[in-house]
Amino acid sequence: MRRWPAFAMASMLAAPALAALPAAYTPLVIEPTGLPARAEFDLTAALARAKRENKRLYVYLGASDCPFCRRYEAFLNQNADELRPHFAGWLIVDLRSSLRVQADRLHIRIGPKSLPYAEFQRSIGDERARQLVYPSVWLFDTALQPLMQMPAGTGTFETVPEQLEILRLEQ
Amino acid sequence: MKTKLSRRALLALPLVGAAGVAGRAAAAVGGLPTKTAHDDSSPEWELLRERLFQRRPITTGAAAQVQLTVPLRAAYGASVPVKIVSKLPQGPQLYVKRLWLLVDKNPSPLAALLDITPEVGQADFETRLRVDEYSHVRVVTELSDGSLHGDSRYCKTSGGCSAPPNRSAPELVGKTVLKLLEGVNGVKPNAPTTADVTVLHPNDTGFELNQVTVMYIPPHFVRSLKLSYAERKLFDAELDFSVSENPTWRFQFVPHAQGLLQAQVEDSKDRRFSGQLAVSVS
Repeated sequence: MRRWPAFAMASMLAAPALAALPAAYTPLVIEPTGLPARAEFDLTAALARAKRENKRLYVYLGASDCPFCRRYEAFLNQNADELRPHFAGWLIVDLRSSLRVQADRLHIRIGPKSLPYAEFQRSIGDERARQLVYPSVWLFDTALQPLMQMPAGTGTFETVPEQLEILRLEQ
Repeated sequence: MKTKLSRRALLALPLVGAAGVAGRAAAAVGGLPTKTAHDDSSPEWELLRERLFQRRPITTGAAAQVQLTVPLRAAYGASVPVKIVSKLPQGPQLYVKRLWLLVDKNPSPLAALLDITPEVGQADFETRLRVDEYSHVRVVTELSDGSLHGDSRYCKTSGGCSAPPNRSAPELVGKTVLKLLEGVNGVKPNAPTTADVTVLHPNDTGFELNQVTVMYIPPHFVRSLKLSYAERKLFDAELDFSVSENPTWRFQFVPHAQGLLQAQVEDSKDRRFSGQLAVSVS
Protein backbone atom coordinates (compact mmCIF):
# COMPACT_ATOMS: atom_id res chain seq x y z
CA MET A 1 0.00 0.00 0.00
CA ARG A 2 1.25 3.44 -0.89
CA ARG A 3 2.11 5.55 2.17
CA TRP A 4 1.81 9.30 2.15
CA PRO A 5 4.52 11.21 3.98
CA ALA A 6 3.19 12.70 7.19
CA PHE A 7 4.06 16.25 6.15
CA ALA A 8 2.15 15.77 2.90
CA MET A 9 -0.90 14.52 4.76
CA ALA A 10 -0.67 17.44 7.16
CA SER A 11 -0.40 19.96 4.35
CA MET A 12 -3.35 18.37 2.56
CA LEU A 13 -5.48 18.55 5.66
CA ALA A 14 -4.47 22.13 6.26
CA ALA A 15 -5.09 23.23 2.69
CA PRO A 16 -8.32 25.12 2.10
CA ALA A 17 -10.86 23.26 0.01
CA LEU A 18 -10.84 25.38 -3.12
CA ALA A 19 -13.67 23.97 -5.18
CA ALA A 20 -13.93 26.22 -8.13
CA LEU A 21 -13.35 26.53 -11.79
CA PRO A 22 -10.59 29.06 -12.49
CA ALA A 23 -11.75 32.67 -12.46
CA ALA A 24 -10.11 33.18 -15.85
CA TYR A 25 -13.08 31.36 -17.41
CA THR A 26 -15.55 33.73 -15.69
CA PRO A 27 -17.86 30.93 -14.62
CA LEU A 28 -21.36 31.53 -13.38
CA VAL A 29 -21.16 30.08 -9.88
CA ILE A 30 -24.19 28.33 -8.46
CA GLU A 31 -24.19 27.35 -4.80
CA PRO A 32 -26.62 24.71 -3.57
CA THR A 33 -29.71 25.53 -1.56
CA GLY A 34 -31.69 23.31 0.79
CA LEU A 35 -28.68 22.01 2.70
CA PRO A 36 -28.19 19.81 4.63
CA ALA A 37 -31.27 17.79 3.65
CA ARG A 38 -30.50 18.15 -0.01
CA ALA A 39 -28.36 20.16 -2.39
CA GLU A 40 -30.44 21.79 -5.05
CA PHE A 41 -28.78 23.57 -7.95
CA ASP A 42 -31.04 25.97 -9.80
CA LEU A 43 -30.11 26.28 -13.47
CA THR A 44 -32.97 28.65 -14.32
CA ALA A 45 -30.91 31.84 -14.32
CA ALA A 46 -28.04 30.18 -16.18
CA LEU A 47 -30.38 28.99 -18.88
CA ALA A 48 -31.96 32.43 -19.24
CA ARG A 49 -28.55 34.04 -19.52
CA ALA A 50 -27.37 31.48 -22.08
CA LYS A 51 -30.42 32.26 -24.19
CA ARG A 52 -29.81 36.02 -23.91
CA GLU A 53 -26.19 35.65 -24.90
CA ASN A 54 -26.90 32.89 -27.41
CA LYS A 55 -24.36 30.60 -25.82
CA ARG A 56 -24.20 26.92 -25.13
CA LEU A 57 -23.94 25.76 -21.53
CA TYR A 58 -20.88 24.00 -20.13
CA VAL A 59 -22.13 22.84 -16.75
CA TYR A 60 -19.49 21.58 -14.34
CA LEU A 61 -20.35 19.79 -11.10
CA GLY A 62 -17.40 19.74 -8.73
CA ALA A 63 -17.00 18.78 -5.09
CA SER A 64 -14.97 20.67 -2.53
CA ASP A 65 -13.33 17.48 -1.25
CA CYS A 66 -12.76 15.65 -4.53
CA PRO A 67 -9.16 15.19 -5.73
CA PHE A 68 -10.26 14.47 -9.29
CA CYS A 69 -12.11 17.79 -9.34
CA ARG A 70 -8.95 19.57 -8.20
CA ARG A 71 -7.04 17.87 -11.00
CA TYR A 72 -9.44 19.01 -13.70
CA GLU A 73 -9.59 22.54 -12.29
CA ALA A 74 -5.79 22.65 -12.17
CA PHE A 75 -5.65 21.47 -15.78
CA LEU A 76 -8.03 24.25 -16.85
CA ASN A 77 -6.05 26.78 -14.86
CA GLN A 78 -2.71 25.74 -16.31
CA ASN A 79 -4.02 25.93 -19.85
CA ALA A 80 -6.30 28.93 -19.51
CA ASP A 81 -4.50 31.07 -22.07
CA GLU A 82 -4.83 28.40 -24.72
CA LEU A 83 -8.29 27.12 -23.86
CA ARG A 84 -10.19 30.27 -22.94
CA PRO A 85 -10.74 31.47 -26.53
CA HIS A 86 -12.30 28.12 -27.38
CA PHE A 87 -14.82 28.53 -24.58
CA ALA A 88 -16.01 31.84 -26.05
CA GLY A 89 -19.29 30.39 -27.27
CA TRP A 90 -20.01 28.72 -23.95
CA LEU A 91 -21.54 29.92 -20.72
CA ILE A 92 -19.55 28.06 -18.09
CA VAL A 93 -21.57 27.13 -15.03
CA ASP A 94 -19.85 26.01 -11.84
CA LEU A 95 -22.03 23.90 -9.53
CA ARG A 96 -20.28 23.68 -6.18
CA SER A 97 -21.00 20.53 -4.24
CA SER A 98 -19.23 18.10 -1.93
CA LEU A 99 -18.71 14.34 -1.89
CA ARG A 100 -21.23 14.05 0.93
CA VAL A 101 -23.87 14.98 -1.59
CA GLN A 102 -24.66 11.76 -3.41
CA ALA A 103 -27.28 11.06 -6.05
CA ASP A 104 -30.19 10.83 -3.64
CA ARG A 105 -29.56 14.32 -2.23
CA LEU A 106 -28.57 16.16 -5.37
CA HIS A 107 -31.39 17.96 -7.16
CA ILE A 108 -31.45 20.03 -10.31
CA ARG A 109 -34.04 22.77 -10.67
CA ILE A 110 -35.15 24.41 -13.89
CA GLY A 111 -37.98 26.85 -13.41
CA PRO A 112 -40.69 25.36 -11.21
CA LYS A 113 -39.44 21.79 -11.68
CA SER A 114 -36.86 20.24 -9.38
CA LEU A 115 -35.69 16.69 -10.06
CA PRO A 116 -33.39 14.37 -8.13
CA TYR A 117 -30.17 13.56 -9.95
CA ALA A 118 -31.16 10.19 -11.44
CA GLU A 119 -34.54 11.42 -12.57
CA PHE A 120 -33.01 14.55 -14.08
CA GLN A 121 -30.52 12.41 -15.97
CA ARG A 122 -33.23 10.11 -17.24
CA SER A 123 -35.32 13.10 -18.30
CA ILE A 124 -32.54 14.28 -20.60
CA GLY A 125 -31.59 10.77 -21.78
CA ASP A 126 -28.21 10.83 -20.06
CA GLU A 127 -26.73 7.34 -19.49
CA ARG A 128 -25.04 8.53 -16.31
CA ALA A 129 -28.33 8.22 -14.44
CA ARG A 130 -27.23 5.08 -12.66
CA GLN A 131 -24.28 6.62 -10.86
CA LEU A 132 -23.20 10.11 -9.82
CA VAL A 133 -19.52 10.70 -10.40
CA TYR A 134 -17.57 13.80 -9.33
CA PRO A 135 -16.66 15.77 -11.34
CA SER A 136 -19.33 15.72 -14.00
CA VAL A 137 -19.80 17.90 -17.06
CA TRP A 138 -22.94 18.44 -19.12
CA LEU A 139 -23.13 20.22 -22.46
CA PHE A 140 -26.48 21.82 -23.23
CA ASP A 141 -27.97 24.02 -25.91
CA THR A 142 -30.16 26.95 -24.95
CA ALA A 143 -33.21 24.67 -24.81
CA LEU A 144 -31.36 22.53 -22.27
CA GLN A 145 -31.04 19.68 -24.72
CA PRO A 146 -27.82 17.68 -24.23
CA LEU A 147 -25.40 18.26 -27.10
CA MET A 148 -23.75 14.88 -26.63
CA GLN A 149 -23.42 12.05 -24.14
CA MET A 150 -20.60 12.93 -21.78
CA PRO A 151 -18.43 10.42 -19.92
CA ALA A 152 -18.51 9.93 -16.18
CA GLY A 153 -15.68 12.06 -14.77
CA THR A 154 -13.30 14.29 -16.68
CA GLY A 155 -10.28 12.00 -16.92
CA THR A 156 -10.65 11.54 -20.68
CA PHE A 157 -10.36 15.24 -21.49
CA GLU A 158 -7.58 16.58 -19.35
CA THR A 159 -5.28 17.51 -22.19
CA VAL A 160 -5.73 20.53 -24.44
CA PRO A 161 -6.43 18.49 -27.60
CA GLU A 162 -8.96 16.35 -25.78
CA GLN A 163 -10.67 19.31 -24.15
CA LEU A 164 -10.99 20.77 -27.63
CA GLU A 165 -12.52 17.50 -28.84
CA ILE A 166 -15.19 17.99 -26.22
CA LEU A 167 -15.86 21.58 -27.24
CA ARG A 168 -16.08 20.50 -30.87
CA LEU A 169 -18.60 17.85 -29.79
CA GLU A 170 -16.55 15.05 -31.34
CA GLN A 171 -18.26 11.74 -30.76
CA MET B 1 -10.18 -22.07 -44.44
CA LYS B 2 -10.26 -22.74 -40.73
CA THR B 3 -9.92 -19.57 -38.70
CA LYS B 4 -11.75 -20.42 -35.50
CA LEU B 5 -9.45 -20.57 -32.50
CA SER B 6 -10.25 -22.60 -29.43
CA ARG B 7 -11.19 -20.62 -26.34
CA ARG B 8 -8.09 -21.91 -24.59
CA ALA B 9 -5.89 -20.58 -27.37
CA LEU B 10 -7.67 -17.24 -27.35
CA LEU B 11 -7.31 -16.85 -23.61
CA ALA B 12 -3.58 -17.20 -24.07
CA LEU B 13 -3.56 -14.25 -26.42
CA PRO B 14 -3.46 -11.45 -23.86
CA LEU B 15 -0.39 -12.89 -22.19
CA VAL B 16 1.44 -13.20 -25.46
CA GLY B 17 0.23 -9.75 -26.41
CA ALA B 18 1.47 -8.23 -23.20
CA ALA B 19 4.88 -9.70 -23.76
CA GLY B 20 4.81 -8.53 -27.32
CA VAL B 21 4.13 -4.91 -26.51
CA ALA B 22 6.59 -4.59 -23.65
CA GLY B 23 8.97 -1.77 -24.31
CA ARG B 24 7.00 -0.35 -27.22
CA ALA B 25 5.67 3.16 -27.02
CA ALA B 26 3.09 3.08 -29.78
CA ALA B 27 0.19 2.16 -27.53
CA ALA B 28 -1.26 4.54 -25.00
CA VAL B 29 -1.44 3.62 -21.36
CA GLY B 30 -5.02 3.53 -20.14
CA GLY B 31 -6.36 6.92 -19.21
CA LEU B 32 -3.66 8.83 -21.00
CA PRO B 33 -4.36 10.99 -24.01
CA THR B 34 -3.48 9.82 -27.44
CA LYS B 35 -3.77 11.05 -30.98
CA THR B 36 -4.77 7.62 -32.14
CA ALA B 37 -7.01 7.50 -35.19
CA HIS B 38 -10.01 5.22 -35.51
CA ASP B 39 -8.39 3.20 -38.28
CA ASP B 40 -4.95 2.88 -36.69
CA SER B 41 -3.50 -0.45 -35.78
CA SER B 42 -2.16 -1.48 -32.37
CA PRO B 43 0.38 -4.08 -31.25
CA GLU B 44 -2.44 -6.16 -29.81
CA TRP B 45 -4.39 -5.99 -33.07
CA GLU B 46 -1.36 -7.05 -35.09
CA LEU B 47 -1.12 -10.12 -32.90
CA LEU B 48 -4.82 -10.88 -32.97
CA ARG B 49 -5.01 -10.34 -36.67
CA GLU B 50 -2.24 -12.85 -37.26
CA ARG B 51 -3.78 -15.39 -34.90
CA LEU B 52 -7.35 -15.09 -36.15
CA PHE B 53 -6.98 -14.27 -39.83
CA GLN B 54 -3.38 -15.06 -40.71
CA ARG B 55 -2.49 -13.14 -43.86
CA ARG B 56 -5.96 -13.01 -45.33
CA PRO B 57 -6.81 -9.55 -46.64
CA ILE B 58 -9.40 -7.56 -44.70
CA THR B 59 -11.25 -4.90 -46.67
CA THR B 60 -11.59 -1.68 -44.68
CA GLY B 61 -12.70 1.87 -45.36
CA ALA B 62 -15.48 2.79 -47.77
CA ALA B 63 -15.33 -0.56 -49.55
CA ALA B 64 -15.89 -2.56 -46.37
CA GLN B 65 -19.25 -4.27 -46.12
CA VAL B 66 -19.52 -3.57 -42.40
CA GLN B 67 -19.71 -0.42 -40.32
CA LEU B 68 -19.07 -0.06 -36.60
CA THR B 69 -20.39 2.71 -34.36
CA VAL B 70 -18.83 3.22 -30.92
CA PRO B 71 -18.74 6.52 -29.02
CA LEU B 72 -15.37 8.23 -28.75
CA ARG B 73 -16.13 8.57 -25.04
CA ALA B 74 -18.70 6.41 -23.30
CA ALA B 75 -20.60 7.29 -20.16
CA TYR B 76 -19.11 4.25 -18.43
CA GLY B 77 -16.31 1.92 -19.48
CA ALA B 78 -18.33 -1.04 -18.23
CA SER B 79 -21.14 -0.38 -20.66
CA VAL B 80 -19.98 0.96 -23.99
CA PRO B 81 -22.71 0.86 -26.65
CA VAL B 82 -21.62 -0.83 -29.86
CA LYS B 83 -23.56 -0.97 -33.12
CA ILE B 84 -22.66 -3.11 -36.12
CA VAL B 85 -24.33 -2.52 -39.46
CA SER B 86 -23.87 -4.77 -42.45
CA LYS B 87 -24.05 -2.99 -45.78
CA LEU B 88 -25.09 -6.28 -47.33
CA PRO B 89 -28.55 -7.87 -46.93
CA GLN B 90 -28.42 -11.54 -46.00
CA GLY B 91 -29.17 -13.25 -49.30
CA PRO B 92 -28.94 -16.93 -50.18
CA GLN B 93 -26.00 -16.28 -52.50
CA LEU B 94 -23.97 -13.89 -50.37
CA TYR B 95 -24.32 -13.26 -46.65
CA VAL B 96 -22.40 -12.54 -43.48
CA LYS B 97 -21.60 -15.91 -42.00
CA ARG B 98 -19.22 -15.01 -39.19
CA LEU B 99 -18.50 -11.94 -37.11
CA TRP B 100 -15.70 -11.18 -34.66
CA LEU B 101 -16.02 -8.34 -32.15
CA LEU B 102 -12.78 -7.35 -30.46
CA VAL B 103 -11.44 -4.86 -27.92
CA ASP B 104 -7.70 -4.65 -28.51
CA LYS B 105 -6.54 -3.87 -24.99
CA ASN B 106 -9.01 -5.83 -22.91
CA PRO B 107 -7.62 -8.71 -20.81
CA SER B 108 -9.57 -11.01 -23.10
CA PRO B 109 -9.84 -9.13 -26.38
CA LEU B 110 -12.24 -11.37 -28.29
CA ALA B 111 -15.58 -10.24 -26.90
CA ALA B 112 -17.78 -12.20 -29.27
CA LEU B 113 -17.66 -14.58 -32.19
CA LEU B 114 -20.95 -14.96 -34.03
CA ASP B 115 -21.87 -17.71 -36.45
CA ILE B 116 -24.70 -16.21 -38.52
CA THR B 117 -27.24 -17.64 -40.98
CA PRO B 118 -29.20 -15.92 -43.74
CA GLU B 119 -32.28 -16.32 -41.50
CA VAL B 120 -31.44 -13.04 -39.74
CA GLY B 121 -32.24 -11.17 -42.95
CA GLN B 122 -29.85 -8.42 -42.06
CA ALA B 123 -26.66 -8.95 -40.04
CA ASP B 124 -27.02 -5.85 -37.88
CA PHE B 125 -26.29 -6.14 -34.18
CA GLU B 126 -26.14 -3.93 -31.12
CA THR B 127 -24.65 -4.79 -27.75
CA ARG B 128 -22.67 -3.27 -24.89
CA LEU B 129 -19.05 -4.01 -24.12
CA ARG B 130 -16.61 -3.50 -21.31
CA VAL B 131 -13.61 -1.42 -22.41
CA ASP B 132 -10.79 -1.61 -19.89
CA GLU B 133 -8.56 1.14 -21.20
CA TYR B 134 -8.20 3.46 -24.17
CA SER B 135 -8.54 0.99 -26.99
CA HIS B 136 -9.77 0.25 -30.45
CA VAL B 137 -12.97 -1.70 -30.76
CA ARG B 138 -13.02 -3.72 -33.98
CA VAL B 139 -15.44 -5.77 -35.99
CA VAL B 140 -14.47 -8.23 -38.69
CA THR B 141 -17.06 -10.06 -40.77
CA GLU B 142 -16.55 -13.01 -43.03
CA LEU B 143 -18.92 -13.28 -45.97
CA SER B 144 -20.06 -16.57 -47.44
CA ASP B 145 -17.62 -16.05 -50.31
CA GLY B 146 -14.76 -16.10 -47.80
CA SER B 147 -13.93 -12.40 -48.00
CA LEU B 148 -13.19 -10.47 -44.79
CA HIS B 149 -14.41 -6.97 -44.03
CA GLY B 150 -13.49 -4.82 -41.06
CA ASP B 151 -14.12 -1.56 -39.30
CA SER B 152 -12.76 -0.05 -36.09
CA ARG B 153 -13.37 2.81 -33.69
CA TYR B 154 -11.11 4.20 -31.01
CA CYS B 155 -12.78 4.54 -27.64
CA LYS B 156 -11.44 6.66 -24.79
CA THR B 157 -12.63 5.12 -21.58
CA SER B 158 -11.23 2.90 -18.85
CA GLY B 159 -12.00 0.61 -15.96
CA GLY B 160 -14.66 -1.39 -17.76
CA CYS B 161 -13.42 -4.77 -16.59
CA SER B 162 -12.95 -3.78 -12.94
CA ALA B 163 -16.02 -1.60 -12.44
CA PRO B 164 -17.92 -2.46 -9.24
CA PRO B 165 -20.70 -4.92 -9.95
CA ASN B 166 -24.18 -3.50 -10.12
CA ARG B 167 -26.37 -6.43 -9.19
CA SER B 168 -29.39 -6.32 -6.96
CA ALA B 169 -31.37 -9.52 -7.61
CA PRO B 170 -29.13 -12.62 -7.61
CA GLU B 171 -32.20 -14.86 -7.77
CA LEU B 172 -32.84 -13.57 -11.27
CA VAL B 173 -29.46 -14.61 -12.68
CA GLY B 174 -30.04 -16.46 -15.92
CA LYS B 175 -33.45 -15.01 -16.64
CA THR B 176 -33.51 -14.65 -20.40
CA VAL B 177 -35.86 -12.11 -21.90
CA LEU B 178 -36.74 -11.76 -25.57
CA LYS B 179 -38.53 -8.68 -26.86
CA LEU B 180 -39.57 -7.29 -30.19
CA LEU B 181 -38.37 -3.73 -30.54
CA GLU B 182 -41.66 -2.51 -31.96
CA GLY B 183 -43.86 -4.92 -30.01
CA VAL B 184 -45.93 -7.75 -31.38
CA ASN B 185 -47.58 -5.39 -33.84
CA GLY B 186 -44.20 -4.52 -35.28
CA VAL B 187 -43.65 -7.95 -36.80
CA LYS B 188 -42.87 -7.65 -40.48
CA PRO B 189 -43.77 -10.82 -42.40
CA ASN B 190 -40.89 -11.94 -44.60
CA ALA B 191 -38.83 -8.88 -43.71
CA PRO B 192 -36.13 -8.27 -41.10
CA THR B 193 -37.74 -7.61 -37.73
CA THR B 194 -35.76 -6.23 -34.81
CA ALA B 195 -35.59 -8.11 -31.50
CA ASP B 196 -33.60 -7.92 -28.28
CA VAL B 197 -32.34 -10.73 -26.10
CA THR B 198 -31.17 -9.93 -22.57
CA VAL B 199 -29.69 -12.39 -20.10
CA LEU B 200 -29.75 -11.17 -16.52
CA HIS B 201 -26.26 -12.15 -15.49
CA PRO B 202 -23.38 -10.44 -13.64
CA ASN B 203 -20.92 -11.38 -16.39
CA ASP B 204 -18.17 -11.09 -13.80
CA THR B 205 -14.74 -10.57 -15.26
CA GLY B 206 -12.58 -11.78 -12.38
CA PHE B 207 -11.13 -8.26 -12.08
CA GLU B 208 -13.90 -6.80 -9.92
CA LEU B 209 -13.18 -6.30 -6.25
CA ASN B 210 -15.76 -7.23 -3.65
CA GLN B 211 -15.85 -4.02 -1.61
CA VAL B 212 -16.76 -5.91 1.58
CA THR B 213 -14.43 -8.92 1.50
CA VAL B 214 -11.71 -7.12 -0.50
CA MET B 215 -11.41 -10.31 -2.53
CA TYR B 216 -11.68 -10.46 -6.29
CA ILE B 217 -14.98 -11.82 -7.52
CA PRO B 218 -14.30 -14.99 -9.56
CA PRO B 219 -15.11 -14.80 -13.26
CA HIS B 220 -18.62 -15.92 -14.12
CA PHE B 221 -19.97 -14.97 -17.48
CA VAL B 222 -22.24 -15.99 -20.31
CA ARG B 223 -20.13 -17.91 -22.77
CA SER B 224 -22.70 -19.11 -25.28
CA LEU B 225 -25.90 -17.71 -26.70
CA LYS B 226 -27.90 -19.49 -29.41
CA LEU B 227 -30.83 -17.83 -31.12
CA SER B 228 -33.38 -19.58 -33.29
CA TYR B 229 -36.76 -18.84 -34.80
CA ALA B 230 -39.27 -21.58 -35.64
CA GLU B 231 -36.49 -24.07 -34.87
CA ARG B 232 -34.24 -22.55 -37.50
CA LYS B 233 -30.91 -21.18 -36.36
CA LEU B 234 -30.47 -17.41 -36.51
CA PHE B 235 -27.02 -17.14 -34.98
CA ASP B 236 -24.79 -18.72 -32.35
CA ALA B 237 -22.57 -16.47 -30.28
CA GLU B 238 -19.47 -17.47 -28.37
CA LEU B 239 -19.07 -14.75 -25.77
CA ASP B 240 -16.67 -13.54 -23.13
CA PHE B 241 -16.64 -11.24 -20.12
CA SER B 242 -15.82 -8.30 -22.37
CA VAL B 243 -19.57 -8.15 -22.90
CA SER B 244 -21.20 -5.97 -20.24
CA GLU B 245 -23.21 -7.35 -17.36
CA ASN B 246 -26.74 -8.42 -18.28
CA PRO B 247 -25.58 -9.19 -21.83
CA THR B 248 -27.96 -7.77 -24.39
CA TRP B 249 -27.97 -8.28 -28.11
CA ARG B 250 -30.21 -6.53 -30.59
CA PHE B 251 -30.58 -8.49 -33.80
CA GLN B 252 -32.85 -9.08 -36.78
CA PHE B 253 -34.81 -12.10 -37.90
CA VAL B 254 -37.24 -12.81 -40.73
CA PRO B 255 -40.57 -14.22 -39.56
CA HIS B 256 -42.07 -16.27 -42.36
CA ALA B 257 -44.79 -17.86 -40.26
CA GLN B 258 -45.90 -18.19 -36.68
CA GLY B 259 -43.15 -19.57 -34.48
CA LEU B 260 -41.11 -19.39 -31.33
CA LEU B 261 -38.16 -17.09 -31.00
CA GLN B 262 -35.84 -18.99 -28.68
CA ALA B 263 -32.59 -18.29 -26.86
CA GLN B 264 -30.38 -20.97 -25.34
CA VAL B 265 -27.78 -19.70 -22.90
CA GLU B 266 -24.82 -21.33 -21.19
CA ASP B 267 -22.50 -19.66 -18.71
CA SER B 268 -18.97 -20.34 -17.54
CA LYS B 269 -20.24 -22.47 -14.65
CA ASP B 270 -22.03 -24.71 -17.16
CA ARG B 271 -25.40 -23.42 -16.05
CA ARG B 272 -28.01 -23.41 -18.80
CA PHE B 273 -30.85 -20.97 -19.24
CA SER B 274 -33.40 -20.31 -21.91
CA GLY B 275 -36.02 -17.86 -22.99
CA GLN B 276 -38.68 -17.81 -25.66
CA LEU B 277 -41.21 -15.55 -27.26
CA ALA B 278 -44.16 -16.56 -29.40
CA VAL B 279 -44.26 -14.54 -32.60
CA SER B 280 -47.33 -14.46 -34.76
CA VAL B 281 -47.38 -13.30 -38.33
CA SER B 282 -50.59 -11.89 -39.70
